[in-house]
Amino acid sequence: MTQQTPVRPLGGVDGGALIDEDWEAYRFRVHRSAYRDPGVFRDEIAKIWGHTWLYLGHETEIPNAGDFKTRTLGGRPLIFCRDSDGEVKVFLNACTHRGTILCRHNEGNTKFFQCFYHAWAFSNSGDLAALPGDESYPDDPGFRESMRLRQVPRLQIHEGFVFIAFTPDVPDLLTHLGPAAHYMSLTAKIGPHGMQTLPGVQLYSVKGNWKLAVENAMDGYHFAPTHNTFVGYLRETGFAVTDDDQYAYDLGGGHGLLVLTGHNGRIGMVWEPRFGDEEKARTVAKRNEMIARLGPEPAAEIADASRILFVFPNLLLFDLEALTIRQLEPVAPDRTDVRAWQFVETGEPESVRALRIKTMVSFVGPGGLATPDDIEAYEAVQRGIVATADSADPAHDWSDMSRGMANEKQGNQGRSIDEGAMRSFWRHWADRVGAATAVAGDPPADPGAPGPSAALASGKE
Amino acid sequence: MTSTTSAAVVSVGTRTVTRAEVEDFLYREAQLLDEWRLDEWFTMFEADGRMEVPTTDWAGWDATTAGYFVCDDYDLIRARVKRLKSRKAHAENPHSRTHRMVSNVILLEAGAETVWISANFLIHRYRDNGAYTYVGRYEHVLKVDDDGLRFRVRRAIPVMESMDPGARLSFIL
Ligand code: FES
Ligand SMILES: [Fe+2]
Repeated sequence: MTQQTPVRPLGGVDGGALIDEDWEAYRFRVHRSAYRDPGVFRDEIAKIWGHTWLYLGHETEIPNAGDFKTRTLGGRPLIFCRDSDGEVKVFLNACTHRGTILCRHNEGNTKFFQCFYHAWAFSNSGDLAALPGDESYPDDPGFRESMRLRQVPRLQIHEGFVFIAFTPDVPDLLTHLGPAAHYMSLTAKIGPHGMQTLPGVQLYSVKGNWKLAVENAMDGYHFAPTHNTFVGYLRETGFAVTDDDQYAYDLGGGHGLLVLTGHNGRIGMVWEPRFGDEEKARTVAKRNEMIARLGPEPAAEIADASRILFVFPNLLLFDLEALTIRQLEPVAPDRTDVRAWQFVETGEPESVRALRIKTMVSFVGPGGLATPDDIEAYEAVQRGIVATADSADPAHDWSDMSRGMANEKQGNQGRSIDEGAMRSFWRHWADRVGAATAVAGDPPADPGAPGPSAALASGKE
Repeated sequence: MTSTTSAAVVSVGTRTVTRAEVEDFLYREAQLLDEWRLDEWFTMFEADGRMEVPTTDWAGWDATTAGYFVCDDYDLIRARVKRLKSRKAHAENPHSRTHRMVSNVILLEAGAETVWISANFLIHRYRDNGAYTYVGRYEHVLKVDDDGLRFRVRRAIPVMESMDPGARLSFIL
């Protein structure tokens, strides 16, 4: 009963599909041109970055009126600021006169942004406040109005996470986030006085396609071999990591979630020896505080498991030893800029803050004991996949992501050490960019639970 | 706190420290790191010494108030050395080739048992047919012993605006 069902007109490289999914052979392959081809990259920028919600930053990065950060998203320079009325605004960072980059600082506080070229000045809410020699312009309030700073067409905030879209025709943010919104809310509830980002942003670039960074984050299979030295370090400090009881969830819309119970301890939540005795007592107190504030079940949901949440296409929320927000910015098919913030409880004692930062950066970031090996992995993929380009045997130019398909077909909950989270990412990706997909055989009837809570609610394991 | 000096000699406790002695210490460190003699390098820390690399947006924050690239206590430095010596430290297998230049050494301030120093560094790193340059400043607190100097705080401050592609800090900056 194998049937070849091209669900979209084929339109990949050489007219072939970019994704090849076969539920008889339990095969899922991604054509390697998807990581290399400049045409695919242009399509991604136009059809994904140009047409969906993107994570821009967190409100707590700009706490005070007049605070601003400049940041590039989807290749477009932006000003992310809080205007004098305290409202979050996002402008294209280009002077409306002739397009000069308006603000050339990474961050600061200001009431006005002044272009150095001809000295036009704009208020932090976007009004054209001054233009030298304005007697030579039409005496018409409409003219000034037409020269306001260009705001991004859509801006919405969920739990302090600021999202923007470069087209107005996107659904409401919560609709876009779907079940992912819940996991962002869990994170936001950790601190009794809220959560905030810290300065000290890890800015780095990777010589690899942005989708490799997504795959790596949704890939529990690599953890033991790639992070052998980190796992060894944890063992020596008295904590045994395990792959058991770790699951992957397809949250729909390209969003994915890994829930990891035996992965590591978590500051304030799950104690492990390297955190020290003071933290042991605090972990108990912290749980009691959360139970009193949120109730036992929400407290347990927040505290008991580590999570890695991917919000399509550019936000990763690592709720591991501590919390890190990571943002992906594709620069070229083989280059990605990464920005990572530590996300902490507002008002926590300095000793806890110090432990949190030390613990987290010992793992994550380009100077940690683990992330460099992840970066090595995706840079190595990018170097390796040119080998099979225009291969004598075209069947060689594919990457395999079929791990766990047979299990998935039986309707079992996908494990984090399988590749199901990557498959759901790629299906959604193909949908967004209009890439051809070949599907053979019958996919599982139940496409998977939207998240662990829903799985519990439906009595499914 | 005393002001910045450019003295060639300072006194720390009962003894004096010269700029030449600090330079020798830093040159020896550079040599050990370039030759990947990490066990010997580790002995240059006092017990409880720390190693820090702030992020490229650093504005003087310490590692209790801001994200860092590296904020290792002594145990983590030891773990880092052990990791880097393993064949399973994939980001450094094969090892990067590095070539360090240290200059502009300044004795900033002397304490009862320490001297604060600063120096500039320029590190060329080669790996995977790529060449990367790291430019920055050291700001160290050195414990002064009768027999020599040791790191109490070893801080390497990058001056680049961000870490370039391929420029991850999998080696010791
Ligand atoms: S381009 Fe900005 S004032 Fe002319
Ligand atoms: Fe990893």
